[in-house]
Amino acid sequence: MDKLERLLNLTAALRNATQPLSAGELRARMAGAYSEDLAAFRRMFERDKADLRAIGVPIEVTTLYRLDPPVDGYRIPAGAYAGRDVRFEPDELAALHLATNLVRLEGGAGAGLARLGGAASADGVPAPVAEVDELPFHDSLAKLVAAAVGRRAVSFLYRGTERQVEPWRLSFHRGHWYLVGWDAGRQEERQFRVDRSSGPVADAGPAGHPVGEGPDPRTVKPWEFGAGEQVEVRVLVDADQSGWACHRAGVDGERRPDGSVVLTLQVRDRAALRTFVLDFLDHAEVLEPEWLRDEIVSWLEAQS
Amino acid sequence: MTSAPAANPTKLSVAERMARLLGVVPWVVEQGGAHLDDIAARFDYPRDQLLEDLEQRLFFVGVHPFTPDTLINVFIEDGIVDIQYAADWFSRPMQLSEEEATRLLAAGRTVLDMAQVSGPAERVDDDEANPLVRALAKLTLSMGSGGEGGVEHIDVCLGHAPSDTLGELRRAIGLQRRIEIEYYSFGRDAMTSRAVDPARLLSHDGVWYLFGWCHRVGAERVFRVERIRALTVTDAPIEVELDAGEEPALGMADIDRTVTIRLAPEAVWAADYHGARQRDERPDGSVDAAFAVASESWLARVLVQLGPQAEVLACDPGIDADLRAATAGRMLARYRR
Repeated sequence: MDKLERLLNLTAALRNATQPLSAGELRARMAGAYSEDLAAFRRMFERDKADLRAIGVPIEVTTLYRLDPPVDGYRIPAGAYAGRDVRFEPDELAALHLATNLVRLEGGAGAGLARLGGAASADGVPAPVAEVDELPFHDSLAKLVAAAVGRRAVSFLYRGTERQVEPWRLSFHRGHWYLVGWDAGRQEERQFRVDRSSGPVADAGPAGHPVGEGPDPRTVKPWEFGAGEQVEVRVLVDADQSGWACHRAGVDGERRPDGSVVLTLQVRDRAALRTFVLDFLDHAEVLEPEWLRDEIVSWLEAQS
Repeated sequence: MTSAPAANPTKLSVAERMARLLGVVPWVVEQGGAHLDDIAARFDYPRDQLLEDLEQRLFFVGVHPFTPDTLINVFIEDGIVDIQYAADWFSRPMQLSEEEATRLLAAGRTVLDMAQVSGPAERVDDDEANPLVRALAKLTLSMGSGGEGGVEHIDVCLGHAPSDTLGELRRAIGLQRRIEIEYYSFGRDAMTSRAVDPARLLSHDGVWYLFGWCHRVGAERVFRVERIRALTVTDAPIEVELDAGEEPALGMADIDRTVTIRLAPEAVWAADYHGARQRDERPDGSVDAAFAVASESWLARVLVQLGPQAEVLACDPGIDADLRAATAGRMLARYRR
C-alpha cells in the first residue's frame, strides 16, 4: 500500500478505535497495509507514528493490561484531535494569511493555516512592504504560551537554577522574547529571557496565583527593581535628548522653558539609575536627592 | 485548461500531502463540495497531485470491516469534488499544535504592533471589527483558553517610536517625498539637521530604522527612528531612489576597531548586552570580552557606566587611550558648574 494511503488508513483506524489498540491489533484491522514480516512491520509502524506526530496528530499511548504480557496501546482521542470547535471566517483566514506573508518568523509562521480551512485568498489586498526583519523563535515558546493560555505552572532551568513559574505573557522586545509571570519559588512577579532558559519546559501543575500585569518589558525601568528602599529621584535632561529620555523613562517629565525636561523617577536600584543617567553623557544630571548626586560625582571623580 | 509549465512545480512530501489532506477533507465536507481549482489554491496543493491523491489515495480509505459504510467515497465530476462518509474521523479539522498556534499568534501580534504605531487614532487592538483581532482571539480559544477577554498572551514590540513619526515616515515613503529631520547621532553625540530621501522602514531586533539617502553627507544612511526629534514631510520629490531589492546592512561585521575589556563578575552581563565578539571566562568569574567599536562615544559610555567593574586590557591604536578620563572629566564639569 502506498505510504500516504497507509497514513490515512492508520489515522482513520486510530480515530475510530473506542479503546486503545496494540500494534498487532492495528495491523490486523488494516488488512494488507503492512508487511507480514514482523520486524519490517515494527519499523514501518514506528516511522508512520513518528510522521503523524510530526504533523501534529495526537497519538496517545497507554499500557494495555488486558493483553499478556502488557504492551503499548494506541489511539487518537476525539477531544485531542479536534479539540474545541473553533471556526474561522474567510476574512479572518485572509488576515492570518496576510500576517504570515508579512512577518518572517524563524522556521516559518503559516504551517497551521491549512488546518484552519486553508489560506483563503488574500487576492486584491495590496501586499504591504515587509517592514520587519526575521523574528527569532525558540522551541520553548509554544509550551510557555500554551501554559499561559491554559493557566498551568511550568518549570525550567534558568542560568543553571531550576525555576517554577506561572506564565502570563510572552513579550518580544529589543530583539528578545521575554516570559512575564509569577515566580512561584521566589514569590514575586518576574521576567525571564526565553533564550536564556535551558532544558525542556516541564508542566508543574495548575497555576494558583492570580494573573497580573507583571513588568512590561516595553517600558521596563530597571531602576525600579531592587532590594533597596524606594527613593524619589529627579533627573534633568537637555532639550535635544529630552524626547528619547522621556520615552525610555516612560514618564512625561516636567518641561522647562528652554526645552529641557525634569524626570521624576522612583528608584530602588541605584546602580541601574546611574547607568541610565550616564548614558546621556554630559546632557543629563541628577538633581535630587543631594546624596545621590554626590555618589555620581564620586563615581566620575574616580575615573577622571 | 492550460497545461502545467515544463518546470516541475514544487513537489510535496508525503507528510506535506497528509497534513494538507487532513485540512482538505473537512473543508470540502463542510462546503458540501468544492472545485478542484479552489482547493488547490486554498491549500497550496498542486492540482495534478491533488487529483491523484483524491482519486487514488483518499478514495476507499476506511476502517475495519471495510463495508461500504466505513469507506470514504470521493466523487469528482466537472472538477467538483464531493467527499462522503468522512463524518466519523476526518469531518472536523485537526486542531493546531501548540507550536503552530503560537507561530500564527506571533505573526498576528507583530502585524498588530505594526498597525498600532501608526498613531492612537488607528489603534486596532480593541477593534472587534478587525478580522485579525478576531482571528487571534479564536486561536487563543482553540488553545484551550477559558475565553476570558482582553488577556494578551503574546505581545510584540517592534520598536519605540513617537506615535506619529512612523505614520509620517510611511506617508513620505509612499508619496516619495523628501523629509527634513532633526536627528540625534548617538555615535557622535550631536544633534543634526538633515534632508533625507526616505526609502524604507525596517524593524530589526525591536528597533525601528529608517533607510534613506542623506543629502547632508551625500550617501545612504540608516537612522534610528526613536532618535528623530522633529520631522517634516516636504513637498519636494525625492531625488535618489535606493535599490529596494537590496537587503539593507545593519550589522557590525564591517567594523574592524576592537577593544578588549576585563569585566568583573558583577558586570559580566555587559558582554551579552553589548554583543561581545569574543569572550573568555576566567577562573575568578570575570570575563575578558572583545567588542567592536562602532564609535568612541559608545565606548566612552560603556566605560564610564561600568567604572571600576571594567578594565581596558587592549585597545586599537585608533582609539583615544585617554577616553574614559576625558569623558568623566567632561561630565564632572556639568556637576560643578
